[in-house]
Amino acid sequence: MWPLSLYGTDTMEKLKVGGLRQSLELCKFDLRGPESSDGILANVSRILASQKSNIAFLTYKGNKDKCCQLSFCLNQDLFPRASKILNKGLRLPTVWEIESREHVGMITVFPRHSAIIILGVVMASWGAESIPIYGIATSLSAVSFITDYRIMDKAVEVVQDSLQLPRNRAPIKPELQYYQSEVIKRNKR
Amino acid sequence: METIAVYWEQPIKTYGFQKVTDLVLIEFSYPLKEIISLGRTLSRDALQMVKAEFIIAQEFGEMISVTLCLSEKEYGDFWVSLAQAPGSTPCEYTYPVGIIYFHGPHFGDRYGIAEASFSALSQADIEIVASGCSASSVFVVLAQDDIARAENVLSHTFEVAK
Repeated sequence: MWPLSLYGTDTMEKLKVGGLRQSLELCKFDLRGPESSDGILANVSRILASQKSNIAFLTYKGNKDKCCQLSFCLNQDLFPRASKILNKGLRLPTVWEIESREHVGMITVFPRHSAIIILGVVMASWGAESIPIYGIATSLSAVSFITDYRIMDKAVEVVQDSLQLPRNRAPIKPELQYYQSEVIKRNKR
Repeated sequence: METIAVYWEQPIKTYGFQKVTDLVLIEFSYPLKEIISLGRTLSRDALQMVKAEFIIAQEFGEMISVTLCLSEKEYGDFWVSLAQAPGSTPCEYTYPVGIIYFHGPHFGDRYGIAEASFSALSQADIEIVASGCSASSVFVVLAQDDIARAENVLSHTFEVAK
């Protein structure tokens, strides 16, 4: 039976959460193979670090005997360079596949108490509105969902309708993009 | 206007390592076209008290694969609920596993954090069962026997802020 609480009827309360945060525009890569490739996590993260590419989101599931998948998101502006590097610079076994997706975004719900319920509510409510889910990960204090960047506002609205957020608290939208530079400014005397 | 802020540290600082052990790693897949029914199953009130220490989900083709870590006691409740969801593949589980997780200043905005973590574990021949990194957190799921060794390795890679 569909839990009434998801629709926030008068008889049941919606799950209370603290807030929402939206990411900047990201792109996503999925590397998938029939078995664990030794050090794939280390290799990929090393290549990305060498290009000064911050990983905004990463999930990995390894399995000695079955499929193994590494998925991660980078800033959208890194897509061309990362595609080239991953397709040419990464020595994966030939049976491994690389798929990519541009223009994705991350919506983070915090805090993450009742993470399974939050997961269920977002899956059901986004599914009903044909909003895709491309990835999910919990962190220390939140649950993050990857979806289509072009419909992020709609995705946020649906979450706001399905969960109870504090009054007058708008989703946090990033206004700055951070780059870590190697430039070191020393104090001038 | 351009503002350059420089933040560099060697070694990378973290706020400390947290560990959770005696967990069951559960994995199942579900057709994406049926995700509404999976959502309904997971949002049942019966699961409200089930505390997942770690959750990731990955899409592949027409399916979504969900991996989560629960305590041995909560695994039973979860399995019973999930069994009622139509379309789910059989649950696979691994026991015992442990999680080591940590976070640090601006981890989500800086490159090199994942590389430092995974390279250190790889060089120590510690097999990573699963991992999830988002916001400022790094979560690594390992065979329980590897947790202490992983903490030792990571403690030499990162500096715990005092």
